[in-house]
Amino acid sequence: MEMNRPARKEALQGARDVTPLAIGVAVYGMAFGLLAAQAGMSSLEVGFMSAFVFAGSSQIVAVERIMAGAGALAAIVAGLALNLRLVLVTASIRDVYANRPFWQLLAGAHLTTDENWALMLARRARRGTGGYAYLVGAGLVLMAVWTASTVLGVVFASALPEPRALGMDFAFVAAFIAIVRALWRGKADLGPWLTSAAVVVAAVASGLVDSSWGIILGGLAGASFAGVSRHV
Amino acid sequence: MSETHAAIAALLVGTLTIRLAGATLGQRLPTEGGWARALNALPGCLILSLVIVMLLNGGPREWFAAALALATAAVTKSLPATMAVGVAAVALLRHFV
Repeated sequence: MEMNRPARKEALQGARDVTPLAIGVAVYGMAFGLLAAQAGMSSLEVGFMSAFVFAGSSQIVAVERIMAGAGALAAIVAGLALNLRLVLVTASIRDVYANRPFWQLLAGAHLTTDENWALMLARRARRGTGGYAYLVGAGLVLMAVWTASTVLGVVFASALPEPRALGMDFAFVAAFIAIVRALWRGKADLGPWLTSAAVVVAAVASGLVDSSWGIILGGLAGASFAGVSRHV
Repeated sequence: MSETHAAIAALLVGTLTIRLAGATLGQRLPTEGGWARALNALPGCLILSLVIVMLLNGGPREWFAAALALATAAVTKSLPATMAVGVAAVALLRHFV
């Protein structure tokens, strides 16, 4: 990538700033590699998926759904539904991609995740700087760490005799609990979240639908509640 | 083409399309009103639904470990710490209880 000096400096700054987040991503990545290995995926398949899908929670959901025997379609729908928020993420920083050649737009959009997006917004709020180069610098570090750690997870998993006995199957439940806690924005979320919970429990516990569709129904029900409610 | 390969290919194309759609067509999305509120609430609602489904597939040991994980998340706000506590708790509960 050809870069002038200030852009390179900004990219390196992004790469440095993202380090603590990358450590969290590495733990998450190892856990995903472990799950993927349990699903019978090779390290090559996992590395390819991590670099080119590059959306952690959707990868976990999709592989978990396939392992549960829900089928490819349910896995794809659940994974993509989880990624719909990225429309808002990239839309909210559309100035970053403005007036760039298509390959830079493609690379920049692909490298945008919750982590480097939030990091860049925080930097802008504090210092008034941080744009495309900062986002891409942080994004490249995240992609390298995510891809490497997921592959390591597969390799490490083959050395583990019984992941379930070690409780590693629970790593994703715990990870999503941490993420859901971080996404809680306060009382305004109460109505949508209760709606989601009620719909999921009713749909899945009653046996009306399979888990994957229960997740989608629950997500859509909560979001619809937020959409039609005037007070959230 | 296996189920896994089909899923990877579709997720690759779909996710990149979603990211590009936001970057290029973002200005046409309403930034306020019902649609914006719904899309804002969607990630939390989806991940909450996923956690509930995972817990419905478990039993009392998993529910107790999940409560410990939630407490850890609330106190530390740390993903690695929450994962470590959750995994350790469920491993110990399955082994000893």
